[in-house]
Amino acid sequence: MQHFALTIIGRDRPGIVSQVAEILYRLGFNIADSSSSILGGQFSMILLISNPAISSKEEFSDAFTPLEESNLSVFIRTLKPGGEVRPEMAGELCMISVYGADKPGIVYQVSKELGDRKINITDLNTKLIGDESRPVYVMMIEALLPAGVGIEEIEGWMTELKKKLQVDISIRSLIAMEL
Amino acid sequence: MAVKEVLLYPDPRLKEICSKIEQIDATVDSLLQDLVDTMVAAGHSVGIAAPQIGDTRRAAVVDVAKSKLGKKQKNHGLLQMVNPEILEKAGDQVVREGCMSVPDYTGNVNRAERIVIQFLNREGQLQVIRAEGFEAIAIQHELDHLDGHLFLDRISSLKTDLFRRKQK
Repeated sequence: MQHFALTIIGRDRPGIVSQVAEILYRLGFNIADSSSSILGGQFSMILLISNPAISSKEEFSDAFTPLEESNLSVFIRTLKPGGEVRPEMAGELCMISVYGADKPGIVYQVSKELGDRKINITDLNTKLIGDESRPVYVMMIEALLPAGVGIEEIEGWMTELKKKLQVDISIRSLIAMEL
Repeated sequence: MAVKEVLLYPDPRLKEICSKIEQIDATVDSLLQDLVDTMVAAGHSVGIAAPQIGDTRRAAVVDVAKSKLGKKQKNHGLLQMVNPEILEKAGDQVVREGCMSVPDYTGNVNRAERIVIQFLNREGQLQVIRAEGFEAIAIQHELDHLDGHLFLDRISSLKTDLFRRKQK
Protein backbone atom coordinates (compact mmCIF):
# COMPACT_ATOMS: atom_id res chain seq x y z
CA MET A 1 0.00 0.00 0.00
CA GLN A 2 1.24 3.47 -0.84
CA HIS A 3 2.18 5.52 2.20
CA PHE A 4 2.48 9.27 2.45
CA ALA A 5 4.08 11.55 4.96
CA LEU A 6 1.89 14.49 5.80
CA THR A 7 3.23 17.52 7.62
CA ILE A 8 1.08 20.36 8.82
CA ILE A 9 2.16 23.47 10.62
CA GLY A 10 0.48 26.66 11.67
CA ARG A 11 -0.34 29.04 14.49
CA ASP A 12 -1.43 26.98 17.46
CA ARG A 13 -5.09 26.97 18.44
CA PRO A 14 -7.51 24.34 19.72
CA GLY A 15 -9.00 22.17 16.98
CA ILE A 16 -6.13 21.68 14.57
CA VAL A 17 -5.78 17.96 15.23
CA SER A 18 -9.48 17.31 14.87
CA GLN A 19 -9.64 19.34 11.66
CA VAL A 20 -6.82 17.28 10.18
CA ALA A 21 -8.11 13.99 11.55
CA GLU A 22 -11.59 14.61 10.19
CA ILE A 23 -10.31 15.13 6.67
CA LEU A 24 -8.22 11.96 6.87
CA TYR A 25 -11.07 9.98 8.38
CA ARG A 26 -13.56 11.07 5.72
CA LEU A 27 -11.09 10.13 2.98
CA GLY A 28 -10.54 6.74 4.54
CA PHE A 29 -6.91 7.21 5.51
CA ASN A 30 -5.14 5.26 8.20
CA ILE A 31 -2.79 7.17 10.45
CA ALA A 32 0.19 5.08 11.42
CA ASP A 33 3.09 6.68 13.27
CA SER A 34 2.65 10.34 14.02
CA SER A 35 4.15 13.01 16.17
CA SER A 36 2.79 16.45 16.92
CA SER A 37 4.07 19.20 19.11
CA ILE A 38 4.06 22.88 19.87
CA LEU A 39 7.16 24.76 18.78
CA GLY A 40 7.03 28.35 19.88
CA GLY A 41 3.54 29.46 18.89
CA GLN A 42 3.29 26.94 16.08
CA PHE A 43 1.64 23.58 16.21
CA SER A 44 3.26 21.02 13.97
CA MET A 45 2.09 17.61 12.95
CA ILE A 46 3.95 14.87 11.14
CA LEU A 47 1.95 11.80 10.17
CA LEU A 48 2.48 8.67 8.13
CA ILE A 49 -0.79 7.92 6.37
CA SER A 50 -2.09 5.36 3.93
CA ASN A 51 -5.30 4.51 2.16
CA PRO A 52 -5.83 1.26 0.25
CA ALA A 53 -7.74 3.13 -2.45
CA ILE A 54 -5.26 5.93 -3.00
CA SER A 55 -1.93 5.62 -4.74
CA SER A 56 -0.94 9.16 -5.68
CA LYS A 57 -1.05 12.43 -3.82
CA GLU A 58 -2.93 14.16 -6.61
CA GLU A 59 -5.92 12.04 -5.68
CA PHE A 60 -6.36 13.68 -2.29
CA SER A 61 -4.21 16.79 -1.97
CA ASP A 62 -7.18 19.07 -2.73
CA ALA A 63 -8.90 17.80 0.41
CA PHE A 64 -6.49 19.89 2.48
CA THR A 65 -7.50 23.19 0.92
CA PRO A 66 -9.68 24.04 3.95
CA LEU A 67 -6.58 23.69 6.11
CA GLU A 68 -4.61 26.03 3.89
CA GLU A 69 -7.52 28.44 4.07
CA SER A 70 -7.34 28.38 7.84
CA ASN A 71 -3.68 29.36 7.71
CA LEU A 72 -2.11 25.95 8.09
CA SER A 73 0.66 24.89 5.75
CA VAL A 74 0.34 21.39 4.37
CA PHE A 75 2.99 19.29 2.73
CA ILE A 76 2.59 15.77 1.37
CA ARG A 77 5.49 13.49 0.62
CA THR A 78 5.03 10.27 -1.31
CA LEU A 79 7.03 7.53 0.34
CA LYS A 80 9.02 4.96 -1.55
CA PRO A 81 7.92 1.36 -0.97
CA GLY A 82 8.96 0.27 2.51
CA GLY A 83 9.60 3.84 3.60
CA GLU A 84 6.96 3.45 6.29
CA VAL A 85 8.83 0.60 7.99
CA ARG A 86 11.21 1.49 10.76
CA PRO A 87 14.44 -0.39 10.16
CA GLU A 88 15.83 -2.58 12.87
CA MET A 89 18.16 -0.30 14.76
CA ALA A 90 20.72 -1.98 16.92
CA GLY A 91 22.86 -0.23 19.45
CA GLU A 92 22.80 1.31 22.85
CA LEU A 93 20.30 4.08 23.32
CA CYS A 94 21.59 7.13 25.10
CA MET A 95 20.46 10.57 26.07
CA ILE A 96 22.67 13.58 25.53
CA SER A 97 21.95 16.91 27.19
CA VAL A 98 23.59 20.03 25.87
CA TYR A 99 22.89 23.39 27.44
CA GLY A 100 24.51 26.74 27.84
CA ALA A 101 24.42 30.38 26.89
CA ASP A 102 22.86 30.66 23.46
CA LYS A 103 25.26 31.05 20.58
CA PRO A 104 25.32 30.09 16.92
CA GLY A 105 26.38 26.60 15.98
CA ILE A 106 25.46 24.49 19.00
CA VAL A 107 23.22 22.14 17.06
CA TYR A 108 25.60 21.95 14.13
CA GLN A 109 28.78 21.31 16.06
CA VAL A 110 27.27 18.70 18.34
CA SER A 111 25.39 16.88 15.61
CA LYS A 112 28.43 16.93 13.35
CA GLU A 113 30.46 15.12 15.98
CA LEU A 114 27.69 12.54 16.24
CA GLY A 115 27.19 12.17 12.51
CA ASP A 116 30.91 11.80 11.86
CA ARG A 117 30.89 8.85 14.24
CA LYS A 118 27.84 7.24 12.65
CA ILE A 119 25.81 7.89 15.77
CA ASN A 120 22.18 7.97 14.73
CA ILE A 121 20.01 10.68 16.29
CA THR A 122 16.57 9.21 16.94
CA ASP A 123 15.03 12.20 18.64
CA LEU A 124 16.06 15.79 19.04
CA ASN A 125 14.48 18.66 20.89
CA THR A 126 15.84 22.14 21.30
CA LYS A 127 14.45 25.03 23.23
CA LEU A 128 15.47 28.54 23.96
CA ILE A 129 14.84 29.30 27.61
CA GLY A 130 15.72 32.03 30.08
CA ASP A 131 15.03 35.71 29.59
CA GLU A 132 15.93 37.76 26.57
CA SER A 133 18.97 39.30 28.16
CA ARG A 134 20.46 35.93 29.05
CA PRO A 135 19.08 33.33 26.68
CA VAL A 136 19.98 29.74 27.42
CA TYR A 137 19.91 27.05 24.81
CA VAL A 138 18.84 23.55 25.76
CA MET A 139 19.19 20.61 23.42
CA MET A 140 18.15 17.07 24.24
CA ILE A 141 19.27 14.30 21.97
CA GLU A 142 18.31 10.69 21.97
CA ALA A 143 20.82 8.71 19.96
CA LEU A 144 21.83 5.18 19.15
CA LEU A 145 25.44 4.30 19.70
CA PRO A 146 26.72 1.82 17.13
CA ALA A 147 28.48 -1.30 18.33
CA GLY A 148 31.89 -0.52 19.71
CA VAL A 149 31.14 3.08 20.64
CA GLY A 150 30.91 3.48 24.39
CA ILE A 151 29.61 6.28 26.54
CA GLU A 152 33.11 6.88 27.90
CA GLU A 153 34.44 7.48 24.42
CA ILE A 154 31.80 10.09 23.73
CA GLU A 155 32.49 11.76 27.04
CA GLY A 156 36.08 12.00 25.92
CA TRP A 157 35.53 14.05 22.80
CA MET A 158 32.75 15.97 24.46
CA THR A 159 35.17 17.45 26.90
CA GLU A 160 36.79 19.19 23.93
CA LEU A 161 33.49 20.31 22.54
CA LYS A 162 32.39 21.66 25.91
CA LYS A 163 35.44 23.90 26.02
CA LYS A 164 35.07 24.99 22.42
CA LEU A 165 31.38 25.83 22.68
CA GLN A 166 31.39 26.84 26.34
CA VAL A 167 28.35 24.67 27.02
CA ASP A 168 27.59 21.85 29.39
CA ILE A 169 27.19 18.41 27.92
CA SER A 170 26.29 15.21 29.65
CA ILE A 171 25.48 11.79 28.35
CA ARG A 172 23.88 8.82 29.96
CA SER A 173 22.75 5.44 28.92
CA LEU A 174 19.03 5.16 28.36
CA ILE A 175 18.28 1.55 28.86
CA ALA A 176 14.76 0.56 28.07
CA MET A 177 13.79 -2.20 30.44
CA GLU A 178 12.11 -4.98 28.54
CA LEU A 179 9.79 -6.62 31.01
CA MET B 1 7.18 -27.28 33.05
CA ALA B 2 6.92 -25.50 29.80
CA VAL B 3 7.71 -22.41 27.85
CA LYS B 4 4.37 -20.76 27.21
CA GLU B 5 3.34 -18.35 24.56
CA VAL B 6 3.53 -14.76 25.77
CA LEU B 7 0.16 -13.14 25.16
CA LEU B 8 0.09 -9.90 23.27
CA TYR B 9 -2.25 -7.02 23.81
CA PRO B 10 -5.20 -6.84 22.92
CA ASP B 11 -5.68 -10.23 24.52
CA PRO B 12 -8.37 -9.46 27.12
CA ARG B 13 -6.63 -11.54 29.79
CA LEU B 14 -3.98 -8.84 30.02
CA LYS B 15 -6.58 -6.39 31.28
CA GLU B 16 -8.11 -8.65 33.92
CA ILE B 17 -7.77 -8.25 37.64
CA CYS B 18 -6.20 -11.54 38.68
CA SER B 19 -7.60 -13.63 41.45
CA LYS B 20 -5.91 -14.34 44.74
CA ILE B 21 -4.35 -17.75 45.11
CA GLU B 22 -5.92 -19.46 48.11
CA GLN B 23 -3.68 -22.45 48.29
CA ILE B 24 -0.28 -23.26 46.92
CA ASP B 25 -0.93 -26.58 45.26
CA ALA B 26 0.62 -28.43 42.35
CA THR B 27 -1.08 -26.17 39.81
CA VAL B 28 0.51 -23.10 41.38
CA ASP B 29 3.87 -24.81 41.47
CA SER B 30 3.66 -25.63 37.80
CA LEU B 31 2.43 -22.11 37.01
CA LEU B 32 5.54 -20.70 38.69
CA GLN B 33 7.73 -23.11 36.78
CA ASP B 34 6.07 -22.11 33.51
CA LEU B 35 6.66 -18.47 34.36
CA VAL B 36 10.34 -19.10 35.05
CA ASP B 37 10.73 -21.18 31.90
CA THR B 38 8.98 -18.60 29.76
CA MET B 39 10.97 -15.74 31.26
CA VAL B 40 14.23 -17.57 30.64
CA ALA B 41 13.21 -18.53 27.11
CA ALA B 42 12.44 -14.91 26.31
CA GLY B 43 16.09 -13.99 26.57
CA HIS B 44 15.63 -10.32 27.22
CA SER B 45 13.07 -10.57 29.95
CA VAL B 46 13.66 -9.87 33.63
CA GLY B 47 10.19 -10.79 34.76
CA ILE B 48 6.83 -12.09 33.74
CA ALA B 49 3.39 -12.18 35.29
CA ALA B 50 0.85 -15.01 35.13
CA PRO B 51 -1.70 -13.20 32.92
CA GLN B 52 1.00 -12.80 30.27
CA ILE B 53 0.87 -16.55 29.80
CA GLY B 54 -2.89 -16.67 30.07
CA ASP B 55 -3.31 -17.61 33.74
CA THR B 56 -5.22 -14.96 35.64
CA ARG B 57 -4.02 -15.85 39.10
CA ARG B 58 -1.85 -13.59 41.21
CA ALA B 59 1.62 -14.89 40.52
CA ALA B 60 4.71 -13.40 38.95
CA VAL B 61 8.42 -14.05 38.74
CA VAL B 62 11.27 -11.57 38.57
CA ASP B 63 14.98 -12.12 38.13
CA VAL B 64 17.14 -9.13 37.38
CA ALA B 65 20.39 -10.91 38.26
CA LYS B 66 20.92 -12.07 34.68
CA SER B 67 20.39 -8.70 33.06
CA LYS B 68 23.21 -6.35 32.16
CA LEU B 69 21.94 -3.48 34.27
CA GLY B 70 20.27 -5.43 37.04
CA LYS B 71 23.25 -7.51 38.04
CA LYS B 72 25.22 -4.41 38.90
CA GLN B 73 22.69 -3.54 41.54
CA LYS B 74 21.60 -5.12 44.77
CA ASN B 75 19.02 -7.78 44.00
CA HIS B 76 17.42 -10.95 45.27
CA GLY B 77 18.01 -13.13 42.23
CA LEU B 78 15.02 -15.21 41.26
CA LEU B 79 11.83 -14.18 43.02
CA GLN B 80 8.82 -16.42 42.65
CA MET B 81 5.89 -14.53 44.03
CA VAL B 82 2.38 -15.60 44.89
CA ASN B 83 -0.14 -12.95 45.93
CA PRO B 84 2.50 -10.24 45.99
CA GLU B 85 1.61 -6.93 47.55
CA ILE B 86 3.51 -3.70 47.83
CA LEU B 87 3.52 -2.58 51.46
CA GLU B 88 5.61 0.54 51.14
CA LYS B 89 6.88 2.79 48.41
CA ALA B 90 9.48 5.52 48.61
CA GLY B 91 11.27 7.77 46.19
CA ASP B 92 10.61 8.31 42.57
CA GLN B 93 12.41 7.28 39.41
CA VAL B 94 11.64 7.56 35.75
CA VAL B 95 12.47 4.62 33.59
CA ARG B 96 11.98 3.78 29.96
CA GLU B 97 9.97 0.58 29.98
CA GLY B 98 8.95 -1.89 27.38
CA CYS B 99 6.85 -5.01 27.74
CA MET B 100 6.84 -8.36 25.98
CA SER B 101 3.07 -8.11 25.68
CA VAL B 102 3.25 -4.73 23.94
CA PRO B 103 6.04 -5.16 21.40
CA ASP B 104 7.83 -2.31 19.65
CA TYR B 105 6.87 0.39 22.08
CA THR B 106 8.65 1.92 25.01
CA GLY B 107 7.66 4.79 27.21
CA ASN B 108 8.80 6.74 30.24
CA VAL B 109 7.17 5.50 33.40
CA ASN B 110 7.36 6.83 36.93
CA ARG B 111 8.09 4.18 39.50
CA ALA B 112 8.90 4.18 43.18
CA GLU B 113 12.61 3.88 43.77
CA ARG B 114 12.36 1.63 46.79
CA ILE B 115 9.60 -0.74 47.75
CA VAL B 116 8.80 -3.23 50.45
CA ILE B 117 6.84 -6.18 49.17
CA GLN B 118 5.23 -9.15 50.73
CA PHE B 119 4.44 -12.41 48.97
CA LEU B 120 4.26 -16.13 49.43
CA ASN B 121 7.19 -17.92 47.93
CA ARG B 122 6.99 -21.14 45.97
CA GLU B 123 7.09 -23.10 49.21
CA GLY B 124 4.19 -21.10 50.58
CA GLN B 125 6.23 -19.16 53.12
CA LEU B 126 5.46 -15.52 53.69
CA GLN B 127 8.37 -13.30 52.69
CA VAL B 128 8.85 -9.58 53.11
CA ILE B 129 11.68 -8.02 51.17
CA ARG B 130 13.04 -4.61 50.33
CA ALA B 131 13.84 -3.96 46.71
CA GLU B 132 15.31 -0.95 45.00
CA GLY B 133 16.40 0.37 41.64
CA PHE B 134 16.08 -1.95 38.71
CA GLU B 135 14.61 -4.80 40.72
CA ALA B 136 11.99 -2.51 42.25
CA ILE B 137 10.98 -1.36 38.78
CA ALA B 138 10.64 -4.91 37.52
CA ILE B 139 8.51 -5.93 40.51
CA GLN B 140 6.23 -2.92 40.13
CA HIS B 141 5.82 -3.63 36.42
CA GLU B 142 4.94 -7.29 37.00
CA LEU B 143 2.58 -6.53 39.88
CA ASP B 144 0.75 -4.07 37.66
CA HIS B 145 -0.04 -6.96 35.32
CA LEU B 146 -1.92 -8.68 38.14
CA ASP B 147 -4.30 -5.72 38.27
CA GLY B 148 -4.72 -5.48 34.53
CA HIS B 149 -2.46 -2.46 34.21
CA LEU B 150 0.03 -2.22 31.38
CA PHE B 151 2.94 0.20 31.37
CA LEU B 152 0.92 2.10 28.79
CA ASP B 153 -1.39 3.08 31.66
CA ARG B 154 1.56 4.53 33.55
CA ILE B 155 3.40 6.54 30.92
CA SER B 156 4.29 9.82 32.51
CA SER B 157 5.69 11.77 29.61
CA LEU B 158 6.19 11.73 25.90
CA LYS B 159 9.91 11.32 25.47
CA THR B 160 11.53 14.42 26.91
CA ASP B 161 8.96 16.13 29.08
CA LEU B 162 11.48 18.71 30.14
CA PHE B 163 10.04 21.14 27.68
CA ARG B 164 6.45 20.73 28.61
CA ARG B 165 6.63 22.03 32.14
CA LYS B 166 6.18 25.70 31.65
CA GLN B 167 5.48 27.68 28.54
CA LYS B 168 6.56 31.26 28.55
